[in-house]
Amino acid sequence: MSPTPLHLLWLLFAPLALGLLAWVRPPRHSGWVLLAALPLPLVALWLLLGVETGPMAGRLALGPLTLHWRLDGLAASLWLLTQLLLLASALYAASYAHATPLRTRGYAWLWPLLGGLALGLGLIWIAADLLLLYAGLELMGLCAVGMMLLPGSVEALTAGLRYLLFALVGSLTWLLGIALLLGAWGRLDLAGLAAVAQPDPVTQIAVALLASGLLLKGAIFPLHSWLAPVHDSAWTPISAIHGALVVKASFFILLLLWRALLPEAIAGAWALGLLGSLAVLWGGVQAWRAVGLKQLVAWSTVGQLGYLMLAFPLLAGTSAAVALMAWQATWLQLAGHALAKAAMFMAAGNLLLSTGAHRLEGLTGTSRRLPLSLMTFGFAAVTLMGLPPSAGFTAKWLWLQASLASGQWLWVLVLALGSLLSAIYVFRVLRCSFVEDAPEPAFRPLPLGMELIALVLALAAIGLGLAAAWPLSFLAPAGVP
Amino acid sequence: MSLSPMAPAAAWVLAGLLLLLAGVCLLQRHLWRACQGFVAFALLMSLAWLLLGAPWLALAEALLGALLTGGLLLWTLRGRGALPRLPTLDRTARRGRLAAPLRWLLILTWLGLIATALVGLLGLEALAPPASVTTLLAATGVLIMGLGLWAFSTQRHLLRRLLAFNLLGSGVFLVLAGLAGPGAEIRGLILIGLVVALLGSVLGAALLLRLHARAGQVTLNPVFGT
Amino acid sequence: MTAVLPLATLASSLLTAAVIFMLPEQALRTRTALNLAAALVKLVLVIWMAWGLIAGEVYAVEFAVVEGLSFVLRVDALGLTFAGLSSLLWLFTTIYAIGYLEDSPNRRRFFGFFSLCVASTLGISLAGNLFTLLIFYELLTLSTYPLVAHRGTPQALAAATVYLRYTLSAGLLLMIGMVALQVLAGDLRFGQQEILAELGPAAHPWLIGLFWLLILGFGVKAALVPLHGWLPRAMVAPAPVSALLHAVAVVKAGAFGIVRLVYDVYGIGFSAALGVLEGLVVIACITILYGSLRALAQQELKPRLAYSTVSQVAYIVLGIGLFGPLGTIAALAHLLHQGLMKVTLFFCAGNYAEELGIHRIDELDGVGRRMPLSSLAFTIGALGMIGLPPVVGFISKWMLGMGAVQAGKPWVIAVLVASTLLNAAYFLPILNRLWFRRGPAHGVGAWPAERAPSRLETSAWLLLPALATALLSLLAGMLAGLPFSPLQWATRVVQQTYLMP
Repeated sequence: MSPTPLHLLWLLFAPLALGLLAWVRPPRHSGWVLLAALPLPLVALWLLLGVETGPMAGRLALGPLTLHWRLDGLAASLWLLTQLLLLASALYAASYAHATPLRTRGYAWLWPLLGGLALGLGLIWIAADLLLLYAGLELMGLCAVGMMLLPGSVEALTAGLRYLLFALVGSLTWLLGIALLLGAWGRLDLAGLAAVAQPDPVTQIAVALLASGLLLKGAIFPLHSWLAPVHDSAWTPISAIHGALVVKASFFILLLLWRALLPEAIAGAWALGLLGSLAVLWGGVQAWRAVGLKQLVAWSTVGQLGYLMLAFPLLAGTSAAVALMAWQATWLQLAGHALAKAAMFMAAGNLLLSTGAHRLEGLTGTSRRLPLSLMTFGFAAVTLMGLPPSAGFTAKWLWLQASLASGQWLWVLVLALGSLLSAIYVFRVLRCSFVEDAPEPAFRPLPLGMELIALVLALAAIGLGLAAAWPLSFLAPAGVP
Repeated sequence: MSLSPMAPAAAWVLAGLLLLLAGVCLLQRHLWRACQGFVAFALLMSLAWLLLGAPWLALAEALLGALLTGGLLLWTLRGRGALPRLPTLDRTARRGRLAAPLRWLLILTWLGLIATALVGLLGLEALAPPASVTTLLAATGVLIMGLGLWAFSTQRHLLRRLLAFNLLGSGVFLVLAGLAGPGAEIRGLILIGLVVALLGSVLGAALLLRLHARAGQVTLNPVFGT
Repeated sequence: MTAVLPLATLASSLLTAAVIFMLPEQALRTRTALNLAAALVKLVLVIWMAWGLIAGEVYAVEFAVVEGLSFVLRVDALGLTFAGLSSLLWLFTTIYAIGYLEDSPNRRRFFGFFSLCVASTLGISLAGNLFTLLIFYELLTLSTYPLVAHRGTPQALAAATVYLRYTLSAGLLLMIGMVALQVLAGDLRFGQQEILAELGPAAHPWLIGLFWLLILGFGVKAALVPLHGWLPRAMVAPAPVSALLHAVAVVKAGAFGIVRLVYDVYGIGFSAALGVLEGLVVIACITILYGSLRALAQQELKPRLAYSTVSQVAYIVLGIGLFGPLGTIAALAHLLHQGLMKVTLFFCAGNYAEELGIHRIDELDGVGRRMPLSSLAFTIGALGMIGLPPVVGFISKWMLGMGAVQAGKPWVIAVLVASTLLNAAYFLPILNRLWFRRGPAHGVGAWPAERAPSRLETSAWLLLPALATALLSLLAGMLAGLPFSPLQWATRVVQQTYLMP
C-alpha cells in the first residue's frame, strides 16, 4: 500500500483530535500518551519511506480557492522529526505534571495546543502555496504563544504578550509581502511563482517583507529579543518543542521562498548570512553572560539559528558541489539542533526542578546526584559545540568545506568563533557541576522517564552525526532542488 | 469594475472617514471611546468591501471585525468577568524620545517600500487624482498602516497596541485588495487574516486582563504600570 | 572477521564506560572487576590484531558519513604501536587508579570517563583518515576534562579550564586544516601520500601553510613550546590522571597525530621536499631545551616531571623531523619508551603523595629507606630519562643521535648532550635525596602526612604497577634485540611501511 492524500490528512488532524481528547481528560500517565501517540511518528516514517521514489503533490479545491500541497523527502523527514519531538515532549509533559504541581486548567490546555502546533507544523512542511503556508504559520504561532502563557505567572504573561505582539506584527508583514507577490504575478503557488517571477524591485521588496516577518517569528538576529524571556518562564516541555521546532519552521519557509523567488540574489543572501553571523556572535556572548540556566539555553538557540542562515550565501550562485554540501549541512544542523535543543531544555529543566535553583551556581553537586541529566546536558552540548561525533560536527565540517571550496572565507571565521563561544558557555554550566565544596542543595527525586526521554533525544543527535548518510539520502535524489 | 459614477465620491468620503476613525482609535485618551471608534471603523471597512464588490468579505468583516473583535475590546473595558476591569482612561506616557529616530526610520522604510512597490505595480497614473475606487482605498490603506505603525511603536498601553495592530491589519487588507482585486485567493487571505486578528486580540485581551489582575499593570514594562 | 576486531577493541572500552556510568556509585567490586576485565580483553585483542597483521590479515571498517566523507578504521603497524602502548599502560594505570582512589568520592564518574578516554585513544590509533582521527581526538579532549577537574577544587577547575581553552582551540584549527586538505585533495586516507605529492607546485604554498596549521593543532596536545602551557597546570589532577595525560593518552595522541601527518598524509619524502622538516627539528630542539630548563627550576615533584614530559615528547618530534630511517625508528621507539618510563615516575610520585603526603622535592630526604621499592622504580625511570644504559631511554637517545648523523644534522647531537646534562641535573638531586640524605625515616623530622603503615611499604595496588612498568622499561632496554621489543617493532614498522619498501 502506498501513501495517499488521505493518509496525509489523517496525519495532519490526528494530533489535534488526540489533543482535544486529552483536553477533556488530561492524561495522568505517560503510558497512555505513548500508547495513543506512538502511531503518529510511525505513520510519518511510513510516509517518508513512501516518498522515496518521488514526491507526492496535489491540489485541493475549496470552492473557488485552490490549495497546493507537496510532500517530498525533505518535508517528510521534517514531519517525522516533528512527530518524534512532539511525542517526546508529550511524554515528558505527562511525567512533568507528576513531578511538579501544575495549574490543572493550564495542564489541560496544553494538549489541544500541542495538537494545534502539530497541525500548523504539518501544514508548513507540506504547503506548496503561500496561502497554506500563511495558515500554517499563523496556527503554529498562535498555539506557540498560547503554550508559553500556560504557567500564568506575571513574567510568563509579560513575556508571552511581547511574543504575541511580535508574532502578530510579523504575520502582517508577511501578509503584505504576499499581497505584493499576488499583485505582481497573480498567483500564490510556489512552483508557479518560481516559474514566472522575475527578480524585479517589487519581488525584492516582497521577499524583504516576507523575510522580515519570518525573522521576527524565527527570532533571528536582530529581531530575537522576545525569545529569551519567553523561555525563562515557560514550562520545560514547551520550551523544548519551541526551541526545537517552532523557530525552525520560520527558517524553513524563508529558505523555501528564497530558493523559489530569488535564487540568484547574491547581495541579499550575503546580507542574510551576515545577519546570521551576528546572531552567532551575539547569541554566544549573551549565553555566556546569562545568569539563569534556561536563559543560557535560550540564547544559545539564537546563536545556533545564526548558523542556519549561512545557507543563503552558500546556496546563492555557488557551484553545484558547494550548494549540495551547504544544503546537506543545513538540514543536518537543523535536525541535530532540534534534537539536541529539546534534550538540552529537558535536561536543564530536570536540573532546575531537582535542585530548585535558577542560577548556574545552584548546580553544584549535580554530577553526583543527577548524573543522567547532567550527562544528557553534556551530550546535547556536544552537538551544539559542533564537537564529534554529532550532527553538529558533521554539519560544521560540511559548512567549512563549502565555505573553503567557494572561497567564502568569512564563514570559516564565524564558524570558528561560534564554536568557541558555545564551548565557553556550555562549560560554564558543566564547570559548576564539578564544584565539590559548596553546600549541597536538597535534591528532589525525579521520575526516571523525564531523564530517559532527554537522554534518548541527545543520543539521537549524536548518532545522527555518524549515520547522516541515510537521512540525507531522502533530501532530494538529485541534490539541491 | 462597473461602479456607478457616484461611487468615487462615496469612496472619497469613505476614505476620509476611515482615516478619521483610525485617528480616533489611536489618539483618544478615553479608551472606551477609542474602542467604539474601532467598531465604527470596522463597520466602515465592511462598507468598503461592499463597495469593492466583495459582499462575503463585508459580512465577515462585520462579524469578525466589528462584532467580535470590537465587542471583545469593549468587553475588556466594561465586561462582567471575574477579573477586575481596566481603567478606561489611558494615562500611560508615550515611549521615550531616545529611540524615536530608529522608530521613524523603521516606519518610513516600511511605508517607503510599500509605496515603491505600489507605484511599481500600478504605475503613477493610476494613483493620480481621478483614481479608481480600488487604488484610492489602497492608498488609504497605506496611510492607515502608517498611523497604526506609529501608534504601535510609540504607545505603551497594551489595549491601544492591540487596537493599533488591528488597524494595521485593516490597512494591509486594503492594500491587498487594491493590488490584486477581490479574487478568491485574496478573500482567503483576508479571511485568514481576520481570524488571526480576532484570535490574537482575544489572546491579547485575556492576557492583558490577567496581567492587570495579578500585577496591576497595563503595559509590558512594570515601571509604567498602572 | 576483518571488521569485528577493531570494532570490538573500541567497544571493549566504550561499553565499559557505558556500563560503569549505569552502575551505582557503591558497586565497588563489580566496577573493579569490569575495569580489569576490559583492560585485559583489550590487551588481548590488540595483541591478536598484531599477530594477524604480521600474518597478513587486513582489519578495516568503513562507511560513508555523508557523501565524500568516510568514517574509516584501519589497523596498520603504526597504529598498533600506539594502540599496544596505550592498552598495555592502561592496564597498569587502571590497577593503580583503583588503589589510588580507594575511599574517594565520585569514582563512578572517574572510571566512566577513564574508560572513555582510553576508548578515544584507541580510536585515534586505529583511525584510517583524518576525519576519523579528529572524531576521537576531540572525544579525548572531552573525556579528559572531567578527569582533570575531578577534584572539584578551584585549582582543579581552573586547570581544567586552561586545558580546554588550549585543546578546543587546537581542535578547531585541526578541523579547519583537515577540511582544507579535503577541499584540496578529496577524501584522503592514511597511506595515500602520493595524492598530495601529485597536486603540483601551485598547491605547495597552500600545503605548507596547512602543514603548519595542523602542526599547531597537534602541537597543543603534544605540548610543543610555546603551546605547552596547559600541561604543568594540569598537574593538580590525581596521579593516575597525570599518568594518563603524560604517558598513555593525551600527549602521546598529539605526538601520534604529528607522526600520522608527516608519514601518512604528507609522506616523509614529500615533507622533506616541501622543506617543512627543518622547522620541525628546530621546534623540537627548542622544546627539548626549554622543557629541561624549566624542569630544573621546579621545586615540586609533579611539575618537574611535567616539564620533563614537555622535553621528552619533543624527542619524538625530533625523530620525525630527522629525514631518514633511523630518525623514524627513534621517534617510534621513543613513543613507547617514554610512555613506560614516564608512567613509572608518575606512579611513584603518586605513591609518595599518597603514602607520606610528599609533594615538594625537599621533602624527599631519606624516602628510599621508608619506601625502597617505589624509590627503586623511580630510580630506574629517572636513570632511563637521563639516558643511562641499560634502561630504554639510552636506546632512544642513541638512535636519535645516529639519526641526526644520518640526516646530516650533527648539531642535533649537541642538543641531545645538553638535554642529557640537564636531565641529569634535575633528576640526580632527587635520587640523591631519596637514597643518601637523612630524613624522617632516620628519625629526623616527620613526614608531611603519613598514612597508617601497612604490610608493604604502601598498598599493593599502588606498588605493583610501578614495579611492573619499571621492570618493563629495564627489560625493553636490555632485551632490545629480541623480536617484540619496542625497538624491533619500530624497526619493523619502518621497514614494512615507509622508507624501505
